[in-house]
Amino acid sequence: MAVDINQIQEKIHVIIYAYPGEKRYILAMMQDLQKICNYLPREGLELIAEHTGVAFSEIYSLATFYKAFSLVPRGKYNIKVCDGTACHIKGSAVIIDQVFNSLGIKPGETTEDGLFSLETVNCLGACAIAPVLMVNEKIYPKVSSSGLLDIIKAYGGHVHENGKS
Amino acid sequence: MKTENHKFRKILVCCGTGCLANGSMDVFQALKENLGPDSGIAVETYVKATGCNGWCEQGPLVKIMPDDITYCHVKASDVKEVIEKTIKNGELIKRLLYRDPQSKKRFKSHHEIDFYKKQHKIALRHIGEIDPASIGDYLSCGGYQALQKAVGMQAAEILTQILNSGLRGRGGAGFSTGLKWQSCARQENSPKYVICNGDEGDPGAFMDRSIMEGDPHTVIEGMIICALAIGAEKGFIYVRDEYALAIQNLKQALADARSFGYLGDDIMGRDFFFDIEIIRGGGAFVCGEETALIASIEGNIGEPRDKYVFPTEKGLWGKPTVINNVETWANIPVIILEGAENFASIGTDHSKGTKVFSLVGKVMNTGLVEVPMGTTLREIIYDIGGGILKGRQFKAVQTGGPSGGCIPAELLDLPVDFESLAAAGSMMGSGGLIVMDDRTCMVEVARYYLNFLAGESCGKCVPCREGIRRMLEILTRICEGQGKEGDLELLEELGETLQIASLCALGKTAPNPVLSTIRYFRDEYLAHIREHRCPAGVCRKLTEFYIDPELCNGCGLCKKNCPVNAISGEKKEPHVISQELCIRCGDCINNCPFLAVKVK
Amino acid sequence: MQIIIDGKKIDAVYGDTILETCRKADIYIPTLCYHEAFGGQGRCRLCMVELEKEGQKKMVAACTYPITEKIEVRTSTPLIKKTRRNIIMLLYKRAPNSLLLQKLFREYECQDNSLKEDPAERCILCNLCVQACQEIGSNAISLIMRGTDKRVASPYDEASEACTGCGACALICPTAAIEMVEEGNKRTIWNKTFELLACERCGKLYTTKEQWEFTAKKNNACASDRQLCESCRKKAVAEKIKAYQAAEH
Repeated sequence: MAVDINQIQEKIHVIIYAYPGEKRYILAMMQDLQKICNYLPREGLELIAEHTGVAFSEIYSLATFYKAFSLVPRGKYNIKVCDGTACHIKGSAVIIDQVFNSLGIKPGETTEDGLFSLETVNCLGACAIAPVLMVNEKIYPKVSSSGLLDIIKAYGGHVHENGKS
Repeated sequence: MKTENHKFRKILVCCGTGCLANGSMDVFQALKENLGPDSGIAVETYVKATGCNGWCEQGPLVKIMPDDITYCHVKASDVKEVIEKTIKNGELIKRLLYRDPQSKKRFKSHHEIDFYKKQHKIALRHIGEIDPASIGDYLSCGGYQALQKAVGMQAAEILTQILNSGLRGRGGAGFSTGLKWQSCARQENSPKYVICNGDEGDPGAFMDRSIMEGDPHTVIEGMIICALAIGAEKGFIYVRDEYALAIQNLKQALADARSFGYLGDDIMGRDFFFDIEIIRGGGAFVCGEETALIASIEGNIGEPRDKYVFPTEKGLWGKPTVINNVETWANIPVIILEGAENFASIGTDHSKGTKVFSLVGKVMNTGLVEVPMGTTLREIIYDIGGGILKGRQFKAVQTGGPSGGCIPAELLDLPVDFESLAAAGSMMGSGGLIVMDDRTCMVEVARYYLNFLAGESCGKCVPCREGIRRMLEILTRICEGQGKEGDLELLEELGETLQIASLCALGKTAPNPVLSTIRYFRDEYLAHIREHRCPAGVCRKLTEFYIDPELCNGCGLCKKNCPVNAISGEKKEPHVISQELCIRCGDCINNCPFLAVKVK
Repeated sequence: MQIIIDGKKIDAVYGDTILETCRKADIYIPTLCYHEAFGGQGRCRLCMVELEKEGQKKMVAACTYPITEKIEVRTSTPLIKKTRRNIIMLLYKRAPNSLLLQKLFREYECQDNSLKEDPAERCILCNLCVQACQEIGSNAISLIMRGTDKRVASPYDEASEACTGCGACALICPTAAIEMVEEGNKRTIWNKTFELLACERCGKLYTTKEQWEFTAKKNNACASDRQLCESCRKKAVAEKIKAYQAAEH
């Protein structure tokens, strides 16, 4: 589900040229691009190279080093399950498995209909309400296996019936 | 129960990440709407959104001042009652007060509860008491007075104060802050830079988040004081990408500081310019390492470099740079205002002041705990933390995050300071204290941390990149029942090579969780390797749960919640788990009120 | 200034690294990611040595440690040998089919163990290829990803516009990890095929069209400059010098 490039060509230009053409603003350019396009389009990376004078291979290196970025579009609803230590010992691994059982995706993957993508994050800093997950900007506290199914359904997800892995 | 009838009331609603997740924004909005200028209430009210102390389990939290009432688990639907009874008439609503689970007593104010009472707040002094988006709030509780004082001091005086306070870096390395600043001040090269490391990456630690969200000005004030002392004009606050609220509050605070003349030209009448820029991290734990953080600000990938020349000499863009952690910065205004001796009177000989710990895991009261250095683990976990959840047994406490180690029950009386923790095979780190019970497998914990580090290693040097990968390979095998004789020895040897040869602290400390668990829990490893058994019942291929018919009273809770319907039994009759269907998720054993589900 | 290496007094230049000093003094320290053209990187950690300063001992990487005061260095203690042995073992397990690593495995007396081997891998991530490409000015390849996923690649693993097929990366690689295939007058490397040019004098296929154009642009070459292979170019320069010398008389 790639974004229509023609529509956002101008947007990409505005995002990138909002910063001076210096190496040290590349991370910020990429973050803005990721937020607005839900991934880093190739055209965006090429424009960054042009604007900053930094080699395309180095831009690509930056884009793949930092986990904040995705080179393929993320799902409309990005599920971030916290796998920080507190959440881990309170069962986040079971939640991650449950997402696979119900949506068929592993961390880093997106469902075929482009609705959901899954990521694990290391500590959202809300350890008292572990296990925690986020769907886009919304935080869900103390998620249980059945609670997860309710959350997925609330976003219009289709869940496979059997919860067994 | 009534408190005095006040002419005005200040209502503080916690809007930190945890309470927000539990719906505190709805409570905040409801209060604002119903207490607006047309509300017709005789009492003058101010509703403020505050930062987080981590007592998230009791949230949403609402504090009413000056009565000093703390309401817990407040819902938007409670707001009308709160306004009618408490705001208008000063009456207490008992059911919203905190109730101690052991004594069943209700407490009016959080200040009366052990969890808060036994803390000594310096870095967290304003959290939960002020609206972080209001510079007015910060000023009204003494904000920027330290800067006022510093502006009248010589640079050398400021440096001496910081040195004499004994403050050591709160991010993990524990290096003397005073020495760091002095070393940078000595450099003749310019320009100089001041950096705040807000890339809090230790899973389970959120004190930096809380300070940046709940009291951003204390960080800013600390940095300005440093800039004065070392001669810097530019500062950066590097904030972890995931901390959106912290970034928002910092942005607001910087804008306000500029308009009040604390940043920019001619700060407080002196010929001194300083300004701060926020840099958002890209999602890389390794960027918490100072040379990797510097590389990241420069626009490079976050690969560290050998630190044979310190950043204080050659840091950002090769210039003299001071980098300190968020919590370190939060202490600076207090040291300047109250004096070094005051700060140095708290703590132990070599670890002065207080430390914020993030007490999480299997403990009754989770949250941020700030205590004097030298407080024992037992006091923190039992007196303040309230002991282990659900009456289970304490097994270990993990300190220092992925760079630290696990400390067993025998060492619960260990005083928490830099040296004692290191001697026990762990380290202070950023202050994470993860409490583990008998349902935690120490081998799996070691595997978990290595898995975390494997994903976060920058990959530059061979020992870390290849070594962590191989240690993880061995531990995964062990957790799956494929452990071999010689595995422990190989882990120990690889661990030694990583400690010696890794380029940065990530690699050098990566073996700590493994080596400390082998040191204190060797038997658990041997059970996995030789008996293919996980005593804690966590490693699924090595676990079997069964229900003790003597203890089971057939309440059916486990059967109802089993995600795969593996449990059968009649009401009030002992239940049975089918081993073929069981997926070892642990829901039954975790929730059985009679501890009747056991590990074979 | 003077420092002590393995018990001997050695002259050192202030600011030189321990490795550079040892090389000048003919003292051997093994390296894998070091090249004189680029300086020390600190990636392989094979060059770790023991340093003693003011009574304190610690292990440092020789290729990045700058000498700024009187220190005592030991290049081969039992602990250093053990550390090097483990580093080689780790690299061997990563790329067991590399002839260089097989040789080093034997040389450092590594023991076999239960760790898995990857027969398809050859790269040890020394980064010399990337540095060579940067030095030449093409910047066609870079290190992407991080941790165990880290590898050398052209953007999107596709044929790179910037790649001129010069082959410097393949030449500098210590483990023959970069595939460069030549068939007829075609060279294929990094998923891109190039046309090879023949030397005007001897006919040898010596460079790609893209590399010729790249260098020509860099050196402001003019139309009269000829396409000559390295040895023929040297001969042509020698002839020119002879011609000038003859004209002088």
